[in-house]
Amino acid sequence: MSEVPLEKIDDYRWRIPRSYKPGMRVPGIIYADEKLLKDIRNDKALEQVANVAFLPGIVKASLAMPDIHWGYGFCIGGVAATDIDSGGVISPGGVGFDINCGVRLLKTNFQYEDIKDKIKDLVYALFSDIPAGVGSKGDIRVSAKEEEKILVKGSRWAVEKGYGTEEDLECTEEYGAIEGADPGAVSERAYERGKAQSGTLGSGNHFLEVQAIDQLYDRELCDAFGFNLGQVTIMIHSGSRGLGYQVCDDYTRSMVRCLQKYNINVPDRQLACAPVNSDEGKAYLGAMKCAANYAWANRQCLMHLTREVFEKVFAMSWQKMGMELIYDVAHNIAKIEKYEIEGKEKKLCVHRKGATRAFGPGHPALPERYKKTGQPVIIPGDMGRNSYLLVGTKKAEEETFGSACHGAGRLKSRTAALRSINLNTLLKELESKGIIVKASGRGTIVEEAPQAYKDVNEVVDVVANAGISKRVCRMRPLGVIKG
Amino acid sequence: MVRLHRGPILFVKNYEFIEHTADIGIRVRGGNLKALFANAASAMFEIIAERRTPASTALKSIKIAQQAENLEELFINWLNELLSLSAAKNLIFSRFTIGVLDNKSLQAVVSGEDAAAFKPNTEIKAATYHQLKLEEDNGKWMAEVIFDV
Repeated sequence: MSEVPLEKIDDYRWRIPRSYKPGMRVPGIIYADEKLLKDIRNDKALEQVANVAFLPGIVKASLAMPDIHWGYGFCIGGVAATDIDSGGVISPGGVGFDINCGVRLLKTNFQYEDIKDKIKDLVYALFSDIPAGVGSKGDIRVSAKEEEKILVKGSRWAVEKGYGTEEDLECTEEYGAIEGADPGAVSERAYERGKAQSGTLGSGNHFLEVQAIDQLYDRELCDAFGFNLGQVTIMIHSGSRGLGYQVCDDYTRSMVRCLQKYNINVPDRQLACAPVNSDEGKAYLGAMKCAANYAWANRQCLMHLTREVFEKVFAMSWQKMGMELIYDVAHNIAKIEKYEIEGKEKKLCVHRKGATRAFGPGHPALPERYKKTGQPVIIPGDMGRNSYLLVGTKKAEEETFGSACHGAGRLKSRTAALRSINLNTLLKELESKGIIVKASGRGTIVEEAPQAYKDVNEVVDVVANAGISKRVCRMRPLGVIKG
Repeated sequence: MVRLHRGPILFVKNYEFIEHTADIGIRVRGGNLKALFANAASAMFEIIAERRTPASTALKSIKIAQQAENLEELFINWLNELLSLSAAKNLIFSRFTIGVLDNKSLQAVVSGEDAAAFKPNTEIKAATYHQLKLEEDNGKWMAEVIFDV
């Protein structure tokens, strides 16, 4: 049970005062309601929110979204922005090992009724054609030279190979390739780990899910996205695979040394960091961007494979099935963005560790088609409950550096899930709800059981009620493939 | 939950799980520092994969050399180097022969088999510094480490 003091700001906002720990440069602010707070207090996440407040250059507050849970160093569900021109730091731990882990949402023209008898075939075909599982390797194998192109061009590399369209790029955060990627900052080992993993889902909480919309929240927004009740959607959750893990490992090693070099005091070495403007900071940022671009290319390839499977199962072109990309968001990343802090425009390094960018209507980073609606914010839930499409708001830009939650957030440890949940009972429960699950590891299904997660509906209620995102529609799972 | 060591000394408890919401933590012991490093590595690969086929005699061996500023860094670097090599070379390691080990450097020969001989279990992305503990008591060692999974 956490003893961290919390001051209530309002029903959805709580403050950890700076006075809690000497060394905190800003307070912590947690977005949650009383019910979620009970679970949040059960692990060490709040302590981690306070620890992040030690980072040099951090501005405003160490923020936590309602899906916050205990991570390693940073909490998962955390947002921290540092002022680059005032010695602000970048921390590989504030991004995580799975750099640009993220999620994309595709629509289809199908209604649930059209495909309900084919869901099993579809799930089995997806499972057979999409490489998933621990260390999974795909058919897309590239030379080191080609891999360098992926690291710079991101999704565009995939589109140039014929795995998608220009429109897909427009519907991807950073248009699928963040500028400033430095392939020279990526180690040989990282290249080696990345060469056979493009177009692979991976394992753990990564998944590909066929869903149906079961609730509409805003008619006008749903019309803008072309969404109706019962419509079938697809969600893909994956990241930068081994290449990203290696980049994080390489730079955590070098930044542990930076703590002494730059006289930085943080309570946990996994918060190792260096000033964004230092050689070490710049090198990490250049390498992190490569991994981020690799992840966007990966999800683009996964989407291409998904479209091909649908074409096979329904004997129709993906265009005819309306399989357009709605959007792709990163939820483990550091971004250089500008915000007004105390009346002055500042260039900030915004760490989103298990948090989604949520820019409001009119933001210049958004493509024309989303200028009116605000940025699509995609929130996957667990495999038994729901997922959401939200849009970002101006309020998020004012309060949370344009950020919202990223998922349901874990409640139970994997070991506790394995101890208390029976696989066959779980599969029966899911089947009775009409959900078909295929996974390469039996353990994965149990570890990722709905009981191991918070209720995503409660998490989304908080971000919606706090005004940092707006609900568009909710999906329920029909078929899930997992690693 | 307690796992049993599958190495040459049978049925000696050498690690147990510690609770963490999102990740996997273990507490591991060793009769000396070298044994601690070897047991931690062995535990890590037991979490990652389960043997599918009988043990092969065709092991591939790789030399590892690591440098660090202190013992804790060396411990984390050792585990992460093994994860990285395992992924890059597609090997699951099962034998860890540690030659030199002091507070700042390590030299070892590790041997493993092709990952195809194993059923993948849990992907470990990395060993982390979060709540890392390395303790000595009368020459015997204990470590606690949290893996990002």
